[in-house]
Amino acid sequence: MPEPVQYRGMSLLIPDNDSEWKEYFAHARQHTLMLRACNACHLMRYPPTHACPWCMELGWTWKEVSGRGTIYSYETVVHAIQPGFKDVTPYSVVLVELDEQRGKPTPDEALRIIANLVKSDGTTMEDAKNVAIGKRVRVVFHDLAPHMALPQFMLTDESPQGRVWQLPE
Amino acid sequence: MKSLKDKYCIVGVGETEYSRNSGRTTRAMAVDAIRKAMLDAGLGRGDVDGMMSYQSGDSTPANWVASDLGLRLNFYMDVFGGGSSTEALIGLAMGAIETGMCNTVALFRSMNGYTEFRIGGTGARAAQPVRSLDLAQVPFGMRSAGQNFALTFMRHMYEYGTTSEQVAHVRVAHSKHASQNPKATQKERVTVQDVVGSRWIVKPLHLLDCCLETDNATALIVTSAERARDLKARPVYVMGVAGRVNKPRTDFHWAHGPITRVAGHYAKDIVFGQAGIDPEDVDVTGSYDAFTFTTMLQLEEYGFCKKGEGGQYVSSGMIELGGKRPNNTSGGHLCEGYTHGMSMVIENVRQLRGTVDDYCPGAAKGEHSYDYAPGRCRQVRDAEITMNLGWAMPPTGSALIMRRG
Repeated sequence: MPEPVQYRGMSLLIPDNDSEWKEYFAHARQHTLMLRACNACHLMRYPPTHACPWCMELGWTWKEVSGRGTIYSYETVVHAIQPGFKDVTPYSVVLVELDEQRGKPTPDEALRIIANLVKSDGTTMEDAKNVAIGKRVRVVFHDLAPHMALPQFMLTDESPQGRVWQLPE
Repeated sequence: MKSLKDKYCIVGVGETEYSRNSGRTTRAMAVDAIRKAMLDAGLGRGDVDGMMSYQSGDSTPANWVASDLGLRLNFYMDVFGGGSSTEALIGLAMGAIETGMCNTVALFRSMNGYTEFRIGGTGARAAQPVRSLDLAQVPFGMRSAGQNFALTFMRHMYEYGTTSEQVAHVRVAHSKHASQNPKATQKERVTVQDVVGSRWIVKPLHLLDCCLETDNATALIVTSAERARDLKARPVYVMGVAGRVNKPRTDFHWAHGPITRVAGHYAKDIVFGQAGIDPEDVDVTGSYDAFTFTTMLQLEEYGFCKKGEGGQYVSSGMIELGGKRPNNTSGGHLCEGYTHGMSMVIENVRQLRGTVDDYCPGAAKGEHSYDYAPGRCRQVRDAEITMNLGWAMPPTGSALIMRRG
């Protein structure tokens, strides 16, 4: 079993029998964002779960996505709970809606991923003043160990999607 | 829809002091709270034969607590969980009695929520490895309840124009109510400016948008309507109950939008269907106010206003004592203390009995002034029907409708 990965005071543990996450993070370490696609209905899903939530099929295939998307919601942590985050406050947590499979199979469904909004190096937190709903982002990987990288997201210079909104202060 | 409307009652309630320094075990506090609830109901050692609790590895199992009081149980169960458990366990207790497994069930929640197990990733829980589904969010500095819910709150502001000032009124209202509650830990009335001027925790939550961390135990007793008729306290009847109702994809509910929709969207038809009433019939609400926003979201989802108009509803004066439908007349989790939901059910039981423990000298006999100035009365006049809106997280919730006997 691989040793837990030490990151910001946490022990991130992916045991050899973690049949959901092990391959996901291994793909991320190769700098590809891969999601599971159902072998029957071909819909992708996140997180990487064992069965298809749309048709209960067990068979799945890893499928690469572009890693491009839009900030669907966000929050800015000013008072960190985890001690390992205190030196990077204020930091932003973003809910990214990926470009693939938006509005399928129902209008309200989408592939959405939680990450930090970071700079292009994948490790430095983006200035919290720059986060807003509607802004475009792309994935960038933060290598943590030989078997694991964290998919993070950075701002791009693409035009925003829909209304750009930030909490008024 | 199947319903056990009016067949079961809450016959006893009790709690320990709300504090940040209990100085004793969850076991001792649970014993104290259950004993008070039994005395409140007029039940003796041989009269309670079922016990249930909820916890998350931070409390004492029901069978130990029962042993301390010399109760021999025919049924007990400890359930994993926090918010939204109270209402669900009331329904399960009714089910246990209905099947004949036992006759009378005591429910409790006992937690040293400040001195032992605080919210979020600090203390004993911080040492645990992050694995499994937690890998989808904890590595990104998203661990506490506020951090878990803030994406929902922010999106609500974006979609509906809800403002910080609007939801601040929830804290304002609950602080008014707490100023009439001798038990409340935060009795000071606050203004909208106090709330939006308090420091940021996780945007859009200010410090005063967040509830308290508290050491406390709460208990209540469920039995059949037939048995309730012979007991000491005025019975309070369960009209409808919904337990831990989910949105789709509760493992990672952001996959299924709109993320501003919360579980009450699904729970409301169950609970109102059983009770056979509408939101307009409810006199008092008790929302799970882990945050100001959770109250706003639930009130709109259960149909007390239109979806998206929760901000206007909570800032209209409607939810304050003296308003049309007061919410959390004890001050709730924001101002009285945090109990994972049971205290709001206890408060509504007392409202329906007409014996809320405010500062009125004759409160225990049901004599109230209905003067809602600070340090006076918090009894709602002629409260006939109450509703509790339990919350675990945006995609999971419970609900309970009760009426006076």
